[in-house]
Amino acid sequence: MRPPRMVSAASGYETRHMFIDFFYTLKRVGVPVSPTSFLRLQKALSLGLINSLDGFYTAARSILVKSERYFDLYDQVFAHTFEGAELTEPDEFALNDMARAMLDEWLRDPGGMAEALGEDKDELSKLSPEELLDYFLERLKEQTEQHHGGGKWIGTHGTSPVGHSGYHPGGMRVGGVSRNKSAVKVAMDRRYKDYSQEGPLTQAQIGEALKRLRNMIPVGAKDQINIDKTIYQTMKNAGEIEIVFDRSLKDRLKVILAIDNGGWSMDPYIEMVQVLFNYARAQFKDLKTFFFHNTIYDYLWEDPRRIRKPFAVDDLVRLDPDTRFIIVGDASMAPFELMATDGSIHIEERSGKPSHQRLQFIADTFPYALWINPKMALEWQYTNTINAIRQVFPMFELTLDGLEGAVTHMMRKH
Amino acid sequence: MDNGSSIKKFAGASQYVLDEELAEIINVSMALEMPLLLKGEPGTGKTQLAHAIAGALDMRLIVLNVKSSMKLVEALYQYDTLTRLNDSRFGDSSRDVSNVEEYIKMGKIGQSFVSDKRVVLLIDEIDKADTDFQDDMLDVLDQMEFDIIEIDKTIKAKNRPVIIITSNAKKDLSDPFLGRCNFHHIAFPDADMMRKIIQVHFTEIGKDLLDSTVRCFYRLREFRNIEKKPATRELINWVRALRSDPDFRVKDLIKGEVPYLGVLFKKSADYEAAQNGVGRFRV
Repeated sequence: MRPPRMVSAASGYETRHMFIDFFYTLKRVGVPVSPTSFLRLQKALSLGLINSLDGFYTAARSILVKSERYFDLYDQVFAHTFEGAELTEPDEFALNDMARAMLDEWLRDPGGMAEALGEDKDELSKLSPEELLDYFLERLKEQTEQHHGGGKWIGTHGTSPVGHSGYHPGGMRVGGVSRNKSAVKVAMDRRYKDYSQEGPLTQAQIGEALKRLRNMIPVGAKDQINIDKTIYQTMKNAGEIEIVFDRSLKDRLKVILAIDNGGWSMDPYIEMVQVLFNYARAQFKDLKTFFFHNTIYDYLWEDPRRIRKPFAVDDLVRLDPDTRFIIVGDASMAPFELMATDGSIHIEERSGKPSHQRLQFIADTFPYALWINPKMALEWQYTNTINAIRQVFPMFELTLDGLEGAVTHMMRKH
Repeated sequence: MDNGSSIKKFAGASQYVLDEELAEIINVSMALEMPLLLKGEPGTGKTQLAHAIAGALDMRLIVLNVKSSMKLVEALYQYDTLTRLNDSRFGDSSRDVSNVEEYIKMGKIGQSFVSDKRVVLLIDEIDKADTDFQDDMLDVLDQMEFDIIEIDKTIKAKNRPVIIITSNAKKDLSDPFLGRCNFHHIAFPDADMMRKIIQVHFTEIGKDLLDSTVRCFYRLREFRNIEKKPATRELINWVRALRSDPDFRVKDLIKGEVPYLGVLFKKSADYEAAQNGVGRFRV
């Protein structure tokens, strides 16, 4: 005997309404769902394949959601729609993700997006991607406040999904489903939370990050004649001369890693960055690691405790200027530490040169210098010292995308 | 198995521990006739799953191992010009040289189309190929037919194969590709699930050994600075190694002596890091 089907369990119209609501809520929170996939879900329902809410949870996710990054959002929307569990107020991270999704949408379809926002498309087109991100973030925050009163930050068109069709989600578990928890409970567990953030690099992503670094292999111009191949190709061409060029060999890169190990804010990242570069070491000709606290004054230190082995910043000029000088730090400190002539909190570093001048010196010495910041790019504008340092060094986030950008920057020709 | 229904349903196989969620997704994908895209950490058994499905449904499994240099036509068919040239030169084969069709060999996708019975087609590690390959391939799988230009013939699928596609990449595949697949992400199994997996592989394993190896395994996975964390495959091999060692006692593991770390950690730097780490813990 066939267990009762979900569609027939609740009355037709309202169920459909609920599904459509579910679909649009997904869309609204930034899960890229396509109408085609929605129709496909309808097909699955009409085939009688889905006969419980648990089944619906799984099937709808596999049909509608195409990346584990959105599983967490899906879980929240599902719990919200089918049990009226309230969506949590979005934190900064969630907002960032959404703003990013909105930017993607804007790039794909500026007209539609402008209309949805009720803005002039041409006005918005004047903004750079960064400015757009900020703008979207602003709008999202506004929305949060607007809906704050109801405790639900996504409009529900004034209808509460609770008790819509007079059935209780818990009561829908038909057909010998033996999962310990109902789908809504499972959804509320938010098992996929870890997959959803595009946050800073984590241990789990080290392998992936390494792949980005592996691109740090120099490629020379194709300007050397390969005589053997040229003869072969010319013969093959029946005497018509064909010259084959090879890439000229280039020496492998030298890398200097300068890490801010001064404050607890950097602690989670220091080890990871070191591991990352140590694993990639084989492809570098030379890898040196220095340490500093907050910013660089007269000395860098070769020992992590910054006591025994000082290295004078002035001596850096003796190193190969092609060295890739990578500074890792949050670039956040009191402005005087960066700007004042005696900014250093260490008494012996009082050469009279302010730190930002030192940083400029490094940037001038090494054209390939850059700064990697574990703070997310969206927070940068709120810190004065980050803004100041960004004028000196190109800055990248410590994320997979950020690393990719950094590597591209370092492999660029100057 | 649901005997009353015309759709063969998948319920699990002896060597593969299936969670209900996954079983449901497979059934829906089969009924909707859509390829199922599986993502997940290496070692979560994406490839194994296809084997299990084929076994449970009693269908033949055809595996297409995607390579980076692969062209779509290789997966469809090959025109064996060399044999034909050879035959025409020496004329000692039973093949008819003037009949090009005799020199067409089916590739993996082609085989799955011409098979008389419904088969499971596993397209393994799709992320290795470029996006053109991926999109073109889905066109073929959508239409369930392709042309052999050499003989101007269209090959139509006799039976729509059950298609499983795996991907290791953290990066998402292209939108049109994703649009045509159902998607599932296999999370790394939790300890309970892992115990079941081990039990499936070692049916007569003792509870002590089972519990302490699994607990130890998850502790080892938590070590920091490891580039390649041990996965299910490594755990199974490790348990096998422990069981075949007559000197091994479960007590040692509880005391914090972990033998055969090399089975779990395969990169030398990881191995060293792990060795330093185990010195400090007790299970």
